Amino acid sequence: MIETKNDSTLEAPIPTVSLESILCTEELQKRPSRPPDYERENRALVALMTVLADSPDAVFQTLADTILDVTHSDSAGLSLLTQDGKRFYWPAISGLWKPYVGGGTPRDFGPCGDVLNRNCSLLFRHLERRYTYFPPPINECLLVPFYVEGKAVGTIWALAHDERRKFDAEDNRLMGSLGKFASSAYQALRHITDLKFQVAEREKAEAEVRKLASGLEAKIRRLVEANVVGIVMFNLGGEITEANEAFLQTVQYTREDIASGRVRWTDLTPSEWRDRDHRAIAELKTSGILQPFEKEYFRKDGTRVPILLGGALFEGSANEGVAFILDLSEQKRAERALRRSEAFLAEGQRLGQIGSYSWCVATDEITWSEQLYRIYELEVGVPVTLDLIRTRVHPEDLTLYERMVEQTRKGGSDFASDFEWQYRLVMPNHSIKFLHAAAHATPDRDGQLEYIAVIQDVTARRLSEEARDMAISELTQVARMMSLGTLAASIAHEINQPLAGIVTNAGTCQRMLAAAPPNIEGALETSRRTIRDANRASEVITRLRALFNKKETATESVDLNETAREVIALSLSGLQRIQVVVRVELADHLPPVIGDRIQLQQVILNLLRNAADAMSGIDDRARVLLVRTERNEENQVRLSVKDSGVGFTPQAADKIFEGFYTTKSDGMGIGLSVSRSIIEAHHGRLWATPNDGPGSTFTFAIPCTPKAVANS
Amino acid sequence: MIRRSQPVAKQYQSTMDVPLKMRHCFVMDSLTDGRQDKRQLLSVVIDDDESVRESLPDLLREFGFAARAFSSAHEFLSSGCVDQTSCLILDVAMPGMSGPELQQELKRFGRKIPIIFITGRNDESIRTEVLKQGAGGFLVKPFSDTALLTALHAALGLD
Repeated sequence: MIETKNDSTLEAPIPTVSLESILCTEELQKRPSRPPDYERENRALVALMTVLADSPDAVFQTLADTILDVTHSDSAGLSLLTQDGKRFYWPAISGLWKPYVGGGTPRDFGPCGDVLNRNCSLLFRHLERRYTYFPPPINECLLVPFYVEGKAVGTIWALAHDERRKFDAEDNRLMGSLGKFASSAYQALRHITDLKFQVAEREKAEAEVRKLASGLEAKIRRLVEANVVGIVMFNLGGEITEANEAFLQTVQYTREDIASGRVRWTDLTPSEWRDRDHRAIAELKTSGILQPFEKEYFRKDGTRVPILLGGALFEGSANEGVAFILDLSEQKRAERALRRSEAFLAEGQRLGQIGSYSWCVATDEITWSEQLYRIYELEVGVPVTLDLIRTRVHPEDLTLYERMVEQTRKGGSDFASDFEWQYRLVMPNHSIKFLHAAAHATPDRDGQLEYIAVIQDVTARRLSEEARDMAISELTQVARMMSLGTLAASIAHEINQPLAGIVTNAGTCQRMLAAAPPNIEGALETSRRTIRDANRASEVITRLRALFNKKETATESVDLNETAREVIALSLSGLQRIQVVVRVELADHLPPVIGDRIQLQQVILNLLRNAADAMSGIDDRARVLLVRTERNEENQVRLSVKDSGVGFTPQAADKIFEGFYTTKSDGMGIGLSVSRSIIEAHHGRLWATPNDGPGSTFTFAIPCTPKAVANS
Repeated sequence: MIRRSQPVAKQYQSTMDVPLKMRHCFVMDSLTDGRQDKRQLLSVVIDDDESVRESLPDLLREFGFAARAFSSAHEFLSSGCVDQTSCLILDVAMPGMSGPELQQELKRFGRKIPIIFITGRNDESIRTEVLKQGAGGFLVKPFSDTALLTALHAALGLD
């Protein structure tokens, strides 16, 4: 192989034949030379020029052929230095060595390299002796360099494979000419290649632009035809040159109207927008862009349509451009509806005395509705802080408020995620407002915990409820008294009958015995009647007693938690009116008891009333009433009512359950003794214990499972 | 309504106090004697309560009256002894014709029989009404025998 693959094989361990030994350049001058054949030379050069002009790609081959011809050699060709300067390659070869075209020699170990090193023509003899990669036979080889812009870029060469041909000075001269030609051919070719490259590049760029343009065009066309927004082409003279369907629909003109040029965009604008239009045109002229702004257009029928208008002048044009028109009717409708609903909401809040707030728990950012400011009687818009709220909360409800804040901050399980609570405000004029709040926990956009709440001013309702409750309780009292009166009257009547008989008969008996003589028989008879009537009276009393003790108990399964809640709900307004704070700790999953629900309600009501009475004189501490239910170890359900009132001494502990022991003046409702009877009838126990602190706790315990009826 | 009871019958301290129109109808007797022979004075008891009908006539007889008892106003009216009746001890509340209604009925027929009303119920309005209508007394059960005697004597002018 002539072509060396890599440099390593050139490090030949074989002692190389010296360069001098294969050079015989001086022979060129010594030998007799042919006479110059200028005519032939000219013909050859002309032919080469023609080829260069007509088909530049073939010029190197033609050159090789020409060299072969004019030097009468066996092989001829060109060697060109590669870009990296490491090799010479043969782009064209003529003659015997034609098959080797495309091959080459290394720059630093080869005949071409030597020529470039010495920068002159060289004649080699048997160069295969040094450059062993050449296949023999090579007798003589003449190489002539050629230059481009002062730099040697290659050689042209001719080979004689045997003794018959020996190169002379004429050959050298001819090669020199041809070398010059080779130089120009090389340059020309390079230029052409460059040109071709440039053209190719430009064509590639143009193709890209065309592709881009066609892509962009397509997009614009799609946009225009999608008709999501009106698009027009216009000029600053007022004309609309093109428009899409969406625009036509917005302004209700037909395509013919536009095409005819009747529709000028200056006419579409109502007069009050003219100034704005002038500013827009100025903006277009200076910056080429029109920032979108809202205005109105007239439709064909004269009605107005709200629009958003924006646009731009075409590049390179001072007059023409494209604009988009977005129909805002729907949006305006939605805005109006929203404003209306907001107004309704605000009005509704005002009418219903309902305010609303949102509270971002992490940042304590609180936003209030106007109505809530009014409820709190604070200036609308003042930044809301927890401290500000505290200045309004009733002092007795402050602990409740703090607890609520703490629990919501914890996101506590006690409050679940939604909660309601009631509290009072004290206004600057010392009046009290009752508020009912309902809050809903929701993660906001950033996933943070936020509470949205409505607060209703229920003062009016509360006051009227209290008035109603008072009226009801008074009515109830009156009714009771009336029924008591009736009861008393009927009792009196029941007893009076036998009593009257007793008195009369006894009186008669006396007179009979006082008569002269005594009427013994009569006395006996009247005495008998007396005793009989006395017995009758006794029976009446017995019957009455039985009537009072009669238990028309309806036994059912009773949930004490629910029962307690009902009673508390009934009593709540009354308790809150006397500033009693009611706390409730009802055990979960409290098992039901069997009993008379109404009687048990009466007992609970009695205990609540007693607790409230015990606290009625207390002013130096909070009046707290705690109702607790629990299940104890003996399979009983316990309900306790704990107060912070006056309490009782251990000596009084049992007396308070005695029948007529009461400190109350009205004596309404059932008393503790009856309560105890009811509980005992339920196979339970009712007792009282003093608290560790102030006040007392009344507790009853009833078995969960019913005892056998036979036990009672 | 619970009403306080008021003094029952006007106590006539002497015959001079007895209204003039009542004097000429009756036989005057001494009160201090207590038991007078008033057998010609018929006192009638009308009461639906059997124990009253049982006990009062004996007492009245001890007072010296003749006594009869009826269980209803109608029974009395159809008994035929209305004319002989000197005085009436009349229950207020009775089924059928009540005491006050009988009082009206007798007035309509011009029967001026003195009436002592007896009742288990101390109703102020009834008391006022029947006294206005001319009753001689209004006793609330249980009343003592003396009270009845006093009322009777007063009504009959037996002072």
